[in-house]
Amino acid sequence: MGKYFWHRVLQAIPVVIGTTFIIYALVFLLPGDPVKAMFRGKAANPAVEAQIRSQYNLDKPFIVQYLLFLWNALHLDFGMTFSQQSVIDTIGRAFPVTIKLALMAFVFEAVFGILLGILAGLHKGTWYDGVILVLSLLLISVPTFVTGYLLQYFVGVKWGLLPVTASAAATFNDLLMPAMVLGSVSMASIIRLSRSEIDTNKTADYVRTARAKGMSNYSVTVRHILRNSMIPVVTYLGQDIGALMGGAMITERIFNIQGVGNLTYQAILRGEAPLVVSVVTILVLIFVVCNLLVDLLYAALDPRIRY
Amino acid sequence: MSKKTDTPEDLATLSAEEYKGWSNYHPSDEDNYNQRNQPVRPLLEVKDLSVDFTDANGKPIHAVHKAGFTMYPGQWVAIVGESGSGKSTTAMSILNLLPGTGHITGGSIKLDGEELVGKSQKDYDKLRGRRIGLVPQDPMSNLNPVWRIGTQVEESLKANHMDIAREKRNEFSKALEHAEVRLRNADDELFIGHQDWDDLIRTTLEALASAHVPDVKKVMHHLRHSWVIGSTTRWSVAQDLIVAGLDDDTAWRVAKQHVTGSDMKDRVAGLLDEAGLPDAATRARQYPYEFSGGMRQRALIAIGLAARPDLLIADEPTSALDVTVQKRILDHLQGLTDSLGTSVLFITHDLGLAAERAQYIVVMYHGHVVESGPSLEVLQHPEHPYTKRLVKAAPSLASQRMISAYQHGDANADRFIEHHQRSSEEVAKSKNIITVEHLTKLFNLPHKKEKFKAVDDVSFSIKRGTTLAIVGESGSGKSTVANMVLHLLKPDKGKVIYEGKDTSTFDKKQMLDFRRHVQPVFQNPYGSLDPMYSIYRSIAEPLEIHKIGDNKSRLARVKELLDMVELPESVMNRHPNELSGGQRQRIAIARAMALNPDVIIADEAVSALDVLVQDEVLRLLNDLQAQRGLSYLFITHDLAVVRQIADDVVVMEHGQLVERGTTDEIFEHPQKQYTKDLLDAIPGGKLKLGLDL
Repeated sequence: MGKYFWHRVLQAIPVVIGTTFIIYALVFLLPGDPVKAMFRGKAANPAVEAQIRSQYNLDKPFIVQYLLFLWNALHLDFGMTFSQQSVIDTIGRAFPVTIKLALMAFVFEAVFGILLGILAGLHKGTWYDGVILVLSLLLISVPTFVTGYLLQYFVGVKWGLLPVTASAAATFNDLLMPAMVLGSVSMASIIRLSRSEIDTNKTADYVRTARAKGMSNYSVTVRHILRNSMIPVVTYLGQDIGALMGGAMITERIFNIQGVGNLTYQAILRGEAPLVVSVVTILVLIFVVCNLLVDLLYAALDPRIRY
Repeated sequence: MSKKTDTPEDLATLSAEEYKGWSNYHPSDEDNYNQRNQPVRPLLEVKDLSVDFTDANGKPIHAVHKAGFTMYPGQWVAIVGESGSGKSTTAMSILNLLPGTGHITGGSIKLDGEELVGKSQKDYDKLRGRRIGLVPQDPMSNLNPVWRIGTQVEESLKANHMDIAREKRNEFSKALEHAEVRLRNADDELFIGHQDWDDLIRTTLEALASAHVPDVKKVMHHLRHSWVIGSTTRWSVAQDLIVAGLDDDTAWRVAKQHVTGSDMKDRVAGLLDEAGLPDAATRARQYPYEFSGGMRQRALIAIGLAARPDLLIADEPTSALDVTVQKRILDHLQGLTDSLGTSVLFITHDLGLAAERAQYIVVMYHGHVVESGPSLEVLQHPEHPYTKRLVKAAPSLASQRMISAYQHGDANADRFIEHHQRSSEEVAKSKNIITVEHLTKLFNLPHKKEKFKAVDDVSFSIKRGTTLAIVGESGSGKSTVANMVLHLLKPDKGKVIYEGKDTSTFDKKQMLDFRRHVQPVFQNPYGSLDPMYSIYRSIAEPLEIHKIGDNKSRLARVKELLDMVELPESVMNRHPNELSGGQRQRIAIARAMALNPDVIIADEAVSALDVLVQDEVLRLLNDLQAQRGLSYLFITHDLAVVRQIADDVVVMEHGQLVERGTTDEIFEHPQKQYTKDLLDAIPGGKLKLGLDL
């Protein structure tokens, strides 16, 4: 187990280096000159321009730029943004908002996804199973920005039940609707996953054996059907945490939330490679950690899995 | 239905003495019954039971049609039939655990005179476990993989609110121990608890020593091993001490003082120990994946008997296991149910097993009970045509090698003699078609340095035109040998010699030629045919690979092959899922025959098939051998099949060759204990059945 853990941690190193390199290269290859963009097309003093270029290492070849970034990052020095703020501070302001949003979306999709999935799976073929199934299909097939704008219009603008956009404080109320939008697609997948798992396990031989013991329907359902059905659902949920953080970009744009997604979007527009790569590095780390936790959790849930 | 079927009324009015005629009670029990001399009440009465399933279009499929039989307390009744005969469906409807759309459409099921059909789910919850237990068929899928074995036994005790400190006796076992039971009070049924053990052993030792019992060490050794925490009662401890030489008062004083009742853990371990699991307390903490099939089946037996039911339904409890394991488990189950007074409804497809274990037998065919009666009578003098076929086909009852269709009946007598002479001369003269020398195969074990010897220095030869069988239990390495002969696995040591040439020296072209002449037929006809391929494509594929003929000649060849395996041409355009298991195995044989091979390596080729189908496929293989002079390497765990088809036998155990000889030598004069055990485990092997056939 310990060996496996360290093996996985070491594995994360090439993953982080690889992804940062790719992202850095992609941002570098973006058309347009970031320094020229800073001056919004106005002619700038060549001396100032050169100074900015050297401050951000933009005058050096790509590979040197990247290695310098990596070297500084190793010393936890992520540099300054183009607007002369520390990258760490900028990210530090945006991340809590996104984490809050992602966690709310996570709770939303976990609670409703599992509840509706169990309801549909245990009572397959009933009318509410049909309704739940159609709902999940709808949520999976309609893109987030459509559900987002629709919800924003009806719930926010027309009925005025929840704020239309988020304030800078990003309160619970502000984030409620965005969280539902963000979690909706995963919720639909969880509904389908738990429904099909329960439906398969319902007819498993060991469930029949449990019934033959004389156990009540409730005990059989909880201890044998649900316990076994939740293993893949829990692993799916774990992997989804990372996806939610990264996937918040569209939702944050719709509801004007000052989170990581918005920040990255702006940084890409400005061609600000160090900021983009710093954000992505953190997201990659979150991904790696979540995946490791999921694998460890999987082993805890299913005794057949041993590392 | 046969006229032999007793109506429940007839049986209900039987006196105990008549009843005893076909039931095997302990001699000591007879007195109780004679004393009371009252009619025995049936434990289970199934009458005109009909069960339907509903297909996708809502049409009913009749699975069981007006089936009926009666069981008496303490009896073993076997329901015999092939798959799809409705035997499992009948059994499951007693527990109201029919799968999918199955439902009872008519008839009655009475347990102890109480009607079960139409009871609510809640009522069934009370009935299951406590009154009717189940030992299911497949030990691999019937335990929940995520719970510890002990937890799953515990569930059974908790669901039925069992008193874990005391043994529960059912009515029948009380009746059996009529006189004694009156003397016993509830505390005499207390189990030894873990807290009792040390004191009990110490006090026993002291008591035995002070009573000057001779050979105290030996007695103590015996007691230590026969007493089990959570399973042995105060009463039996006292009895054991009295037998050991203590006077009644001392024995009871020790027992009363030091047998004070078990807790849940003790009881769970006790139950697992009763079911024959060694080191039960440790085993209870393990998960199902850490158990072998046989161990899992023992755990399932412990679960089925945990709440001391009056009736145990055992649905093919050992079909998935090796014969020797099967024998051990069934012997154990029989001892256990006898001592608990549990009746067993035993579902099996194996006639020999039914004849050996059950006093009463019910034969089912296509949802009907076609014949029933005392088992020996039914199997020695079968009346219904289906039962006759079944008895004829049962491999365990065959006493000699099959004779090919060519060699008996209307076949030309001269030709038969000619064939026979020629073939026997050929056998004597010809060299061996395949010889393996010192084959050894090592496998890596996870997390371990040392390697596992799957096959250890095995040598044998297949004579041209004959059948060599490799027998052994699962894990004996017999399939690994087959895979090495087929060159699907590379041996670590030793060589395979085909037609005098070492196969390891073959280049690509020679290897292709070797593959053409040595063809496999695998165990699972469901898995060995590509479900996406039509039957034509499956059979024609080897012809394409070896670039033989054009489309037209291939079509002709496929037709010819289908004719050879006695299937209609029309199956060509169908897919494997549309065919039965027997038909699929015929297709697999046709595919193997497509390239006109010299050798066929059949790895458990008939194990997955029903008796009648198995018989047909064996006959087909035998006829093909007689017609074409094929040589077979037959891998099987089933000695009864070996008897029917093999000329020579190699017995393997733990990767090593234990014994080899001609089939007659092995069956008549086995030299090694392991071979004797294997032969001994053939169910019904010693019974003479089908006397009129």
